Amino acid sequence: MPGVRSRNESAWLLPNDGSRTNHRLREDMRRYADTDEIDLVIVGCGAGGSVLLQRLARAGWRVAALDAGPFWDPDTDWVSDEAGSHQLYWTEPRVISGADPVPMGSNNSGRGVGGSMVHYAGYTPRFHPSDFATRTRDGVGADWPLTYPDLRPYYEQLEQELPVAGERWPWGDPHGYPHRPHPVGGNGEIFLRGARKLGIEARVGPVAITNGRFGNRPHCIYRGFCLQGCKVNAKASPLITHIPDALAHGAEVRADAMVTRIAIDRESGRALGVHYVRDGRERFQRAAMVAVAGYSIETPRLLLNSACSRFPDGLCNEFDQVGRYLMVQGAPQTAGRFDAEVRMYKAPPPEVSSEEFYETDPGRDFQRGFSIQTVSPLPITWAEHVAAQGHWGGALREYMSDYVHWACLGALCEFLPRPGNRVTLAQEKDEHGLPVAEFSYSQGDNDKAQAKAAQAVMEDILHAAGADEVITIQRYAHLVGGARMAADERSGVVDQSCRSFAVPNLYITDGSVLPTQGAANPALTIMAVAARAAGQLAAGARSGSAS
Amino acid sequence: MTERPGPYQRQQSGSPDRFPGLDVLGQARHWDSVTADLVTARLSPPPGLAFFAADQAACAGVLLNLLTGQQDDQEISVLHMVDARLAAGETDGWRYSDMPEDGQAWLDSLAFLDEDAAGRCGTTFAGAPEEDQLKLIQAVQDLASGTWHGLNAAHVWSLWTRYACTALYAHPLAWNEIGFSGPAYPRGYKNAGLDKLEPFEVRDARPSGDPIREGA
Repeated sequence: MPGVRSRNESAWLLPNDGSRTNHRLREDMRRYADTDEIDLVIVGCGAGGSVLLQRLARAGWRVAALDAGPFWDPDTDWVSDEAGSHQLYWTEPRVISGADPVPMGSNNSGRGVGGSMVHYAGYTPRFHPSDFATRTRDGVGADWPLTYPDLRPYYEQLEQELPVAGERWPWGDPHGYPHRPHPVGGNGEIFLRGARKLGIEARVGPVAITNGRFGNRPHCIYRGFCLQGCKVNAKASPLITHIPDALAHGAEVRADAMVTRIAIDRESGRALGVHYVRDGRERFQRAAMVAVAGYSIETPRLLLNSACSRFPDGLCNEFDQVGRYLMVQGAPQTAGRFDAEVRMYKAPPPEVSSEEFYETDPGRDFQRGFSIQTVSPLPITWAEHVAAQGHWGGALREYMSDYVHWACLGALCEFLPRPGNRVTLAQEKDEHGLPVAEFSYSQGDNDKAQAKAAQAVMEDILHAAGADEVITIQRYAHLVGGARMAADERSGVVDQSCRSFAVPNLYITDGSVLPTQGAANPALTIMAVAARAAGQLAAGARSGSAS
Repeated sequence: MTERPGPYQRQQSGSPDRFPGLDVLGQARHWDSVTADLVTARLSPPPGLAFFAADQAACAGVLLNLLTGQQDDQEISVLHMVDARLAAGETDGWRYSDMPEDGQAWLDSLAFLDEDAAGRCGTTFAGAPEEDQLKLIQAVQDLASGTWHGLNAAHVWSLWTRYACTALYAHPLAWNEIGFSGPAYPRGYKNAGLDKLEPFEVRDARPSGDPIREGA
């Protein structure tokens, strides 16, 4: 892959001695004073924030990223254990409500440098071209103020930087991947067998897990704990794919720094920097520009908590758009039982996917669609699946003893954006005295029809593969939206370059800007949107004059 | 949930006969030290409780043992694990808007169980006959999303089972029952695929022992 190292050296900056962290790089990291007016301060060090940090550090900007959580060391901080990985998730208090409340935490919320990509499964599909114009094409959802070709070069760059492994992809905009597909385990075998019998196209990948050495990152060892943080440095997260290169180019990562408020100049209406708490002390970082990348719950919460005399209803919220159109994918999970031992824990949970049902099909009674992927719950998560069938006590133990015989598929249904699905501020306060987020969520009829159809397809695949019974749990996956990009300030919070309509030097560069979610895992698209915004910023002047 | 599984059946301790000889902890020397220390510490929880008072602990202990199908002389200290989690405020990162925060929700729901037991048998929940304890628990599950002492019963059930299952299946003895091989770093797995085992894994002695099929 010529060219990757010349634009992102992260994989070569990691140690090659069997340890996972370049401590010298962190010790030697540039550190700005609060009183320095840096070019850009970024709030949040996940998929969006880290890519922005790395790109602009490379462009010579004086830039720092603050994250509320730790600067992880996979050797000492992460374990091959479900319950012991609790600290990877955002577990500050949050309230969930609505007709169909969405559980948070381990399911969708990260904390610390690397963000939710530390514990995502590793699937990195692109969105389809249709995702950017669902209002025009399908009469539902929203049109983006940009198109698929606008993002394609960033998808291609990032697939090399992560890098992504998988078979040639026939769906959406057909494309190949830099790393060959991984071998499949029992769960993937079942999916491929069932799909083949039914004539459903399925492919291995796409996963951001090294298949072969990449720089100093080793090959995946198939330990199965992808969702607990990859101790191998094989699964991509910004902690190893973008942060090392950012540090090498003079960026600062300030971990354990919880941003509480964005300061706005009363006269000019421009952002001045961010208030944050570190080691129990309240501090203020000056900056010529602020980018928020706290993801779909914390980004709207920070904007709402940054209300001031000029923006009394919350920052960027003059048209009541902040927090709205927050989306989660319907993610029913259907498992099938086989006399053979599947032992689905013995491979990365992401193995095989199908996007055959992704687009609107006029023959079905709903718009848009879903994808199907292998998921491989570990024992605690599997117990939740079994308990959801109503089992408890001795019956639960008995059913659980059957664990090695089950294969499990998950769907990602493109539940549609709705204005009432939103983040607001609750009465409850956090440890800093700030109101916590309340996330209200309700499904629509189209959503319910999608989930039902997806479950039926998964049941068919498992039965075709020989399952003698199937069980399903209803759940959700991922978050996007909440501060969406739009053509104007009456229908969104930021423009196509991620610049907020209300504050000229305030950007939002995370999943919250996505107007639709497709039936694809969002990580790669979040990174691509941030990379595109970074490119526009680097090409233009600093301090918010880019357009 | 439209179908209810069969009646509650006491289970000695899972199905030790299903994976004969499997001892996940016997592989601990192959794990990284951070993981090995964390997992082995679960075998010897610190004495005493940090969150529940004595009467609450009596109620919670019975509830958790029944939810997880354990005898009173359980090998897996689910009560201690739940207590430690609540004392540390280690929530799942969310609560339903119609529920108090997790610690308070646990205390409230235990008090309500005692109230129900007093009404049914004139005793505390812990002091009630086991048959009544089981019926009192089943009654909460049967309410589904109905109201139980002013709370959404489904949300109470979710709280109880989430904490109970997380504690139970964090324990290496529970992994032995289900054939799970546990941590695998830095060794990894080399034989993924249907019916493929690592040298240290144990094949299921009753591969057709599907509980649903048997119970059907």
